[in-house]
Amino acid sequence: MARVSLRDVNKIYRSRHDDVHAVNDLNLTVNDGEFVALLGPSGCGKTSTLRMIVGLEEISAGEIHFDDVLVNKLDSQARNVAMAFETYALYPNFTIEENLAFPLEVRGLPAPERRKKAREIAEILRIDDILDQRPGALSGGQQQRVSLGRALIRDPAVFILDEVMSHIDAHLKFQMLFDLKAIHQEMKRTMIYVTHDQVEALALADRVAVMSNAELQQFGTRNDLYHTPANVFVADFIGEPPTNFFEAELFTDHNGTVLKVVGSDLVIQLEPGHAQRILRWNERHLTVGIRPQSLHLGGDPALPALEAKVAINEYLGERSILTLTDGTRSFRAMVDPDTTAQRGERVKVHYALQDVMVFSGKTELIIL
Amino acid sequence: MVDSTAADEPAGGSLAVRRRLDRGDPSTFPEWFNTRKPRANLIVARWVPLALVGLPVLVLFCIVVYPTVWMFYHALHDTNMMRLFQSNWSFVGLENFQTVLSSERFGDSIVHLGIYLTFGAVLQVLLGAMLALILYELVKNNFLRVVLLIAMVLPMMLPPSIVGVLWKFLLTPSNGAVNQALLNLGLIDQHIEWFNAGMSLWAIIIADVWNWTALPLLIVYSGRVSLPPAVYEAARVDGAGAWTTLRRITLPMLKEVIAIAFIVRFMDAFKFVDLVFIMTSGGPAQSSELPAYIAFQRGIREFAIGEAAAYAIVIFIASAVLITLFLKYLKKVLKAQGFA
Repeated sequence: MARVSLRDVNKIYRSRHDDVHAVNDLNLTVNDGEFVALLGPSGCGKTSTLRMIVGLEEISAGEIHFDDVLVNKLDSQARNVAMAFETYALYPNFTIEENLAFPLEVRGLPAPERRKKAREIAEILRIDDILDQRPGALSGGQQQRVSLGRALIRDPAVFILDEVMSHIDAHLKFQMLFDLKAIHQEMKRTMIYVTHDQVEALALADRVAVMSNAELQQFGTRNDLYHTPANVFVADFIGEPPTNFFEAELFTDHNGTVLKVVGSDLVIQLEPGHAQRILRWNERHLTVGIRPQSLHLGGDPALPALEAKVAINEYLGERSILTLTDGTRSFRAMVDPDTTAQRGERVKVHYALQDVMVFSGKTELIIL
Repeated sequence: MVDSTAADEPAGGSLAVRRRLDRGDPSTFPEWFNTRKPRANLIVARWVPLALVGLPVLVLFCIVVYPTVWMFYHALHDTNMMRLFQSNWSFVGLENFQTVLSSERFGDSIVHLGIYLTFGAVLQVLLGAMLALILYELVKNNFLRVVLLIAMVLPMMLPPSIVGVLWKFLLTPSNGAVNQALLNLGLIDQHIEWFNAGMSLWAIIIADVWNWTALPLLIVYSGRVSLPPAVYEAARVDGAGAWTTLRRITLPMLKEVIAIAFIVRFMDAFKFVDLVFIMTSGGPAQSSELPAYIAFQRGIREFAIGEAAAYAIVIFIASAVLITLFLKYLKKVLKAQGFA
């Protein structure tokens, strides 16, 4: 068990032609027993971060501590971390059982005990029917579960899971998310989970660290990320379908201060208190974000609304997504699945004032 | 996710467009990406494909099929080089094979071949594999690694005649470098008579090991290079030390590569003539003869073409059978591992 803290960690891949700054001044503390997800698009530096924590990659600058021990110079073995690899990295000449038990074999556990533990973990991961096969004969999803099992069979200070569900089919993934969460709750071990899939991250993690462009964008609970995203990137990345963004300008008249969407007739209302704060910000060009989930068709008529034409009505079973357009701007609203709105029909979608997110147009940081 | 409203938005710069770019949405790929110009059909005369296939077939027929048939034919005749162009040889049935299989000389050469395989070919493969792994695992400087690799491969690039003469000099009993070095190191009290009856085969084996160890080295080295690095990272994280990694992971994964290196040297052993001819001529008293050398000696030097052909066929069949069994075994191993 360990608390993992990263202080000003940098990773720079040097090559003859140019240097790639993969991780930039990353500060992050994962508490003992916490489940943290590193979430971000491909190439954002999350796997580099992970490899530095594991000890497979040299730390270019900064410090990584496990509890109070500086581990920069320690190899993976001394750090006592277990890792499941995105590329599985199974031992091709071993059977699945041998693969699962290899970490125990290395630690000198007697064969019968290894066997027992391997069978236990295989049962949890639903791979107990393929224990005698070799990795070459398995599907990607099966190999991925073996790789996960090989990490979970140990009792390390930290579990590191790198995209361990990327090749598992949707139905099984749902069950495995549940199992992994249960395993974590039972073992109470520190787990760091890397993924580009927000569903996995939000479902599993106590806290999520969102990364982009080699930098940490925001680190917080799913509530923080969803309701008070630190910047445009997080607001855009978290939530499905993604947040609607409008480039807007402040406009004050006798009714008060509103936001006018640039190049469109759409007007977004603001709470009076918020308007004051934005005015104090002293910036004319702003980015406004409203989640599709916050736009309600046929809501309380007292609430402000956006009026637009329906371009697409996507039926998704338990909900529908309307893509609306006013000719120049288009945005989405999540509505009841039984909505009969037809293409070309004009509709009003209402929103609550507190659901309006306003970001600085220059820095893209949140204002309110 | 459907997003057909892209056209409604101003191009470039807008958040929505940037978002799609970030996600690699195909609708943002340039037009040329999805369109490909059809290529003109390649129209050629009817004889071109025939000629393209026919010429190599003709060449192969001349240099492979014809000589092989010719060999089988003469193995059944009492052909002598002196009368080769007079066409007055007669059919003798399997007499040549009888001569070959009952000859004590051939029996001895099989024993020699056995010794050569165990201490020559096997040693080359073991030594080569060891050097390759040392080179890969311990030499971390890239430049040094390449220099060492080239240095170790150099002997293989020398022609056999040079190697033979070189080692004949080095092993000269009275004042050869090897004997002198051993004397100076105090390892021996008197000269080793390298080219006497008991030692001549060993002299050949030493020269051959020096000459050919580089081949298994190269094969195993390239095999090691192509092993997936992720597996080694996994082993590091799992806590396996260097020795465990070598024993449990590297060697099992290189099993097939090492087997192939051995097959190559094994096949070469059956046609091994050059160093024998140059260093000892099979002597003294035929004590360093190998099967292929006898075929060469009987046919080319003693003109008994029919008998030599019979030797060649016996060697061919024996090696073909052994190699087939070996490949079968290899296939079984690979299948058990889920490959192939």
